[in-house]
Amino acid sequence: MYCFFGVLIGTLVGVLPGLGPASAIAILLPATFKVTPVSSFIMLAGIYYGAMYGGSTTSILVNIPGEAASVVTCLDGYQMALKGRAGPALGIAAFGSFIAGTFAVIALTFVAPPLAGMALKFGPPEYFSMMVVGILLLTYLSSGSMIKALIMAGFGLILSGVGMDTIGGEFRFTYGIRMLLDGIPMVPTVMGLFGISEVLLNLETEIRRDLLTNRVKNLLPTLKDWADSIWSIIRGTVLGFFLGIIPGGGAVIASFASYAIEKKVSKHPEEFGKGAIQGVAGPEAANNAAAGGAFIPLLTLGIPANPVVAVLLGSLIIHGLQPGPMLLSKAPDVFWGTIVSMYIGNAMLLVLNLPLIPLWIQVLKVPYFLLYPLIFLFCLVGSYSIENNVGDVVIMLIFGIVGYLMKKFRYEGAPLVLALVLGKMLETTLRQSLILSRGEFSIFVSRPISLGFLIVAALLLIMPVITQRKKLSTLEEE
Amino acid sequence: MSKADRISGIFWFFFSGLICIESYRLGLGSLHQPGPGFLFFWTAAVMGVLSIAVIVRAWMGRKAEEPESAIFGKENALKIILVLLSLFLYAFFMETLGFIPITLLLFIFLLGMIEKKRWGFAVLVSVAVTGVSYLVFEIWLKSQLPKGLLGFLRF
Repeated sequence: MYCFFGVLIGTLVGVLPGLGPASAIAILLPATFKVTPVSSFIMLAGIYYGAMYGGSTTSILVNIPGEAASVVTCLDGYQMALKGRAGPALGIAAFGSFIAGTFAVIALTFVAPPLAGMALKFGPPEYFSMMVVGILLLTYLSSGSMIKALIMAGFGLILSGVGMDTIGGEFRFTYGIRMLLDGIPMVPTVMGLFGISEVLLNLETEIRRDLLTNRVKNLLPTLKDWADSIWSIIRGTVLGFFLGIIPGGGAVIASFASYAIEKKVSKHPEEFGKGAIQGVAGPEAANNAAAGGAFIPLLTLGIPANPVVAVLLGSLIIHGLQPGPMLLSKAPDVFWGTIVSMYIGNAMLLVLNLPLIPLWIQVLKVPYFLLYPLIFLFCLVGSYSIENNVGDVVIMLIFGIVGYLMKKFRYEGAPLVLALVLGKMLETTLRQSLILSRGEFSIFVSRPISLGFLIVAALLLIMPVITQRKKLSTLEEE
Repeated sequence: MSKADRISGIFWFFFSGLICIESYRLGLGSLHQPGPGFLFFWTAAVMGVLSIAVIVRAWMGRKAEEPESAIFGKENALKIILVLLSLFLYAFFMETLGFIPITLLLFIFLLGMIEKKRWGFAVLVSVAVTGVSYLVFEIWLKSQLPKGLLGFLRF
């Protein structure tokens, strides 16, 4: 039942532009306090992968991405809709999502337990190096300037230091402000950065929606459609899954990378942007596989691969669970319950999604002047309900302004959130490593796993300097 | 974006400077025993260097990209300020007034004043939204919304 609610709400969140899965999970998190941790996590996880399904509907029918991972689906999905092929576009997006999502869950089933076992051998230096790679990878893959993304990661790290020092016990950067004593709360921060700021930005310019409602027919793709897109789905699935696993990767990057690859391998690259079904099938498979893959580092290492999973990590912690290698042995019901629910959830999404398209069309007809006050209300009540604290609401609003300014000045929020989430653990593992080694930084390079991570980190920093980094933003411009 | 980058670069430069000073004050410790300001001092130092890179790049790009476009459009600026103001007022008065009155006022303000819908429509929608949201959050999801002025009603 919770899985059903999760995927249904997730699809709705995916359909609605201006409300992403991170803010939706954050908003609904307080509503799950009364249920068991396993039910809560199943529902919130359902919102995440459900949103990946829903996002394509808005991209195809309105040419506005329902959520960030469906940006590229607009390029060919909307063109297909203009040509009267909205049905096959929606159909292949749903089937591709199902295939990729199911593959990711199967892989999660087999990869997660041995990886959790291996992670038990990780010490502070390995954790530290791995988190450094995660943050650097996210900045490297960011669509804008890497320097700005690094500044955002630094800002996130500094924000993570606000509040009590977990080792020394003293207060840092609080300046006697009571609401800062417990640190910067992650969930209201995410709501502000991604929810409030997005609405503020949308208030600047009227959203024009050309809803192609009369063209949705023949949802089942033809044999030719399948022949054209099956390899795109397979490539998107594999690529998305691996990008999802890597901390710093994620559904957005996976969908962009998949589109670029499909265009490259296609015999008719000129058809991309004019309604090529591969341009829908590949990215939609990739973003769903990435959403599934992102659960691997979360459940096995306790490392969130992207901001949405960071909110999921927060939900586990609020319910008294510590994500990481011990989760499998200490809370097997949460671990296996989530995996089983993902099999069911993916099947539900396929069965639900196509028949519910008329309903989503009605949802898309809700005028924005009604929608945005509702989003505000959800954010206000959601942030207040976490700890019944007005301070959290104020922090959310402040980060709403910060997020709005960041968008205006072209700074990305994702590195900030990842660094904010990982910051405390990063600092603790750094200080523990240095205490262990009596101040020798060589501890990070003398241990093979840590060394491996640091080599990757160094490459990520050096590569943009020695090669002309091909920015994903060029693809966005196309 | 060179104008925006210049402004933001300068902001981050001063911000990182402040954090460096504050972290130093907290104590850097030693490599054997890193202090509470250790990580943040070095993070802010790197941010300072990066902010200089942003400023330099923006300065060099300025000549090529003239004329520069405005960062903030004048359209709807007042709308955004008023919306933000109403949200902050909501936060500050939600415990004093309570969820029902403050939500009602927020929606009437947003629909009637900001969106300039007919007052009858604005009030009707506001009452409906407040009622339904109270039922969903308080009754169904068991959130403990602030009662405020209506606390005596005990519903």
